[in-house]
Amino acid sequence: MSTELEDNNVLKLSKTEAKELLQKWREENARHSEQVRDIWMNIDFGGSLGDEKWQVLEQVCVAAIDLHDNELIKECLQQLDNKFPNSCRVKRLKIMAKLELRERFEDALQMYDQMIAKDESNSLLYKRKIAILLAERRVAEAIKELCDYLKKFMNDTEAWLQLSDLYIEEQEYSRAAFCVEELILANPHNHLYHERYAAIQYTINTAESLELSRSYFSQALRLNPNNLRALYGLLLSANSVAALPKTTSQKKRENLRLANWASTQIQKLYREGSDDESRINAMEGMLANLQITPNST
Amino acid sequence: MSDLWYKYVIAMGLLSLLHSGYSAAQHRSYVRLVEQEFNGPPEDIVIQCVVSLLVTIAAIVSLNTKHFREIHALDDLKEKTIDSINNRPNFYIFNHRGRLCR
Repeated sequence: MSTELEDNNVLKLSKTEAKELLQKWREENARHSEQVRDIWMNIDFGGSLGDEKWQVLEQVCVAAIDLHDNELIKECLQQLDNKFPNSCRVKRLKIMAKLELRERFEDALQMYDQMIAKDESNSLLYKRKIAILLAERRVAEAIKELCDYLKKFMNDTEAWLQLSDLYIEEQEYSRAAFCVEELILANPHNHLYHERYAAIQYTINTAESLELSRSYFSQALRLNPNNLRALYGLLLSANSVAALPKTTSQKKRENLRLANWASTQIQKLYREGSDDESRINAMEGMLANLQITPNST
Repeated sequence: MSDLWYKYVIAMGLLSLLHSGYSAAQHRSYVRLVEQEFNGPPEDIVIQCVVSLLVTIAAIVSLNTKHFREIHALDDLKEKTIDSINNRPNFYIFNHRGRLCR
């Protein structure tokens, strides 16, 4: 996940670079709160942000809430309040900062209910209510609320992802797989969804699901040949299918060939990424041991 | 060289189109002078018009094909990491250890 800036200074960026970096983080949903705060405090944008200023302020406000930095929160909220006096979005930020941060969840829930009564079509409010339930670790209720929410707002990618994660937490893998299927239907060319579906199927660990996982890992690789997780997944799932008692010997050979191909690709990718011979040798040694044998109980 | 050829063909096509339009108008005024019914332009003018239109369109498109690029739906997705699906901004919760990161 690390950008080159993880360890280096974000302070050395120019204004335009910082602005583009913030925009990139907004689009990727990255949560680099400390770095966002560093950028905001140390780089004086002046007027160069233009209309993006309000989005950046929102981003900085959320980062400040993440870091429990009360002065920065107050400063951001004041500026946003002056610009957008009766805005629901700003009000939501205020509730997040004042009530959710101090863990006054009941009050926050009440306020959200009031706001929902005024405007039922505002999806963000429902999601914050679900987030409060998650913060209180009431996972079963959160799942129920999220299902109701998804009946109303069916094409909300974030919510489907959250629901699939919650089901994984509860170990209901088939339902988690269903959620990711919805995502794949909506975005068939996103290799990450295929990879996640394949990972869930691999976890389910029945004969059909292992074959399914192998084909979805392959699809993820076809969409993005550099996806290392999908390569490892292909290696493991092909090995697992080959190790199943029911596979014919021809299928076994095919699967082992596939696993070999995957391991050569992995080695190639690692070689391109680093020159350190010792690490590469360690990795090759590990690959030789990556066989999952079925339990004989 | 082939650029020039396509441009030549486009010019010829447009001229032929204009010519067929002019002949149709001329035919119309002739028919009015001769006081016959006007049943539309004669077939050869219609054929000339349609053929020159198609030739011009084909030449214009071929002139520009080397500038067309394939549309890849996937290129911007290749850079996405798994963090982009693991982080869901609208569901962030804040009771974590962040308060200690001052």
